[in-house]
Amino acid sequence: MSTGMLYGGDEIGALVFDPGHHSLRVGYAQEDTPKAEIPAVVGVAPDESFKVEPEVKTEDGNVSSKPSQNKYYIDTTFLHVPRANMELHSYMKDGMIENWDMFEKILDYSYEKIIQSESQYHPVLFSESPWNQRQKREKLTEIMFEKYKVPAFFLVKNAALAAFANGRATALVIDSGATHTSAVPVLDGYVISNAVVKSPLGGDYLILRAREMLDSLKIDLTPAALISAKDVVREKDIPRCTRKKLNFQPSNSWMTYMMKRTVQDFQQTVLQVAESPYDERFVSNIPSVHYEFPSGYHQDFGNERFKLAEGLFDHAMLGAGHIAATSAGMCDVDIRPALYSSVVLTGGNSLVQGFSDRLSRDLQSRTPGSMKLKMIAANGTVERRFGAWVGGSILASIGTFQQMWMSMQEYQESGKSQIDRKCP
Amino acid sequence: MASGVTVSDVCKTTYEEIKKDKKHRYVIFFIKDERQIDVEVIGARDEEYDQFLTNLQAGGAGECRYGLYDFEYTHQCQGTSEASKKQKLFLMSWCPDTAKVKKKMLYSSSFDALKKSLVGVQKYIQATDLSEASQEAVEEKLRATDRQ
Repeated sequence: MSTGMLYGGDEIGALVFDPGHHSLRVGYAQEDTPKAEIPAVVGVAPDESFKVEPEVKTEDGNVSSKPSQNKYYIDTTFLHVPRANMELHSYMKDGMIENWDMFEKILDYSYEKIIQSESQYHPVLFSESPWNQRQKREKLTEIMFEKYKVPAFFLVKNAALAAFANGRATALVIDSGATHTSAVPVLDGYVISNAVVKSPLGGDYLILRAREMLDSLKIDLTPAALISAKDVVREKDIPRCTRKKLNFQPSNSWMTYMMKRTVQDFQQTVLQVAESPYDERFVSNIPSVHYEFPSGYHQDFGNERFKLAEGLFDHAMLGAGHIAATSAGMCDVDIRPALYSSVVLTGGNSLVQGFSDRLSRDLQSRTPGSMKLKMIAANGTVERRFGAWVGGSILASIGTFQQMWMSMQEYQESGKSQIDRKCP
Repeated sequence: MASGVTVSDVCKTTYEEIKKDKKHRYVIFFIKDERQIDVEVIGARDEEYDQFLTNLQAGGAGECRYGLYDFEYTHQCQGTSEASKKQKLFLMSWCPDTAKVKKKMLYSSSFDALKKSLVGVQKYIQATDLSEASQEAVEEKLRATDRQ
């Protein structure tokens, strides 16, 4: 070991960050679950209280240390309150960090409110998407060393972490997240990046479809945050609810986000993927599910449950089964049997009821006759949603892993470009 | 990406004893103190496959292991009258579904290090349950690369 210092291990608590489109997972290595899951949006509003009463800033979620014109709102409790002129921004794009200023706000918040410790004492392990760009990796390395002064840093592809956490060094990782579903072949812990296949069908797509359906039924989607009281009504009756009185109009981005959250809950509770391609006669025999919206409106959903979820699979080119087969087909013929015999399913969207059964069925029909298909999907919600985080948490706590970190000293000697050599 | 776990010299010498001198039938490896891969059990030349499986799972349902086995079977090429005896070495990572995530992570991220130290193994097998580790499943995998 060139640095002569020990990082990670039991002595110093390493931190693990797993950024995604839906949320950022933050926590200490060696723990089973992340300490916090922070929505991947930041609310920005012009700071009016700043001039009037500068003292109360820290109480309400303002995390910027120096006085600025804008006030930032981070984390669910602060985001879900309507505020005048608050616009919401996402800092992620295509699975990569896009807006670094916003992302730094989130990191500031994580250190201050969740970790509650100084960044210079904790090595940091970040997960990244398999197609992350070199310039973005270097930028993140630079920020962590220069701004946060972390003693050591490491970047791992989230697909490799998910494969390891399921006991496989070689696997075909199907990651179905908010904005996309991807098929990523991992060989001995390394991602085969030219065989990664992505499809834009993920949780957000389901939400979009569900939203269209609910709009066409003229269902009121007012988010709970705007409702002060509601009466009990009979099924399918017009809801009677009192809206909160606001003396301003909430911004469009906030309304969109909150309605998305409302539809997301509907999507997660109601939707189910049919075992076989959608068939009205078969599906009509399955009991319907009752759902009540924040406005008080409620009704049963039958066929719609399956019709909506079918969107993830019925697409000829973009269905999960198709991209998995395409990805395997792009790999060397020698490793294909190994990939088919360890298909690892992860990502929050894979928790839609029936997803794994359908994918397994879909893939079975595409698996070449000479190969065996085996799908590995963790049973627990936590393992599936935070698969990459859990993997990172364990990796960072392995004693021998401390020699793998990129240390502050190495950064100072060789610069940010060193990250590509240390963390391929 | 690897965990940094190293491979002890005993592993390599035992492997050579199997590969070159055919002294043992199999060997079971484990990770000692989360630092180094070491030899746990060495199987005598006349032991059966079942004993290998028993030893592989000796740690219980929550444990992972690596196993190396010198596998023998007969194979008859098309167009030949006699069956020939084949010997193939395979290296298996045994990570049962019931094992803790920590163990799975440790063993799967260190498998590459072991693979690199033991040169000349014909087949690598990742097993999570007996359907992948049984004698039939293993033989099928080894035969897959033989000429018909």
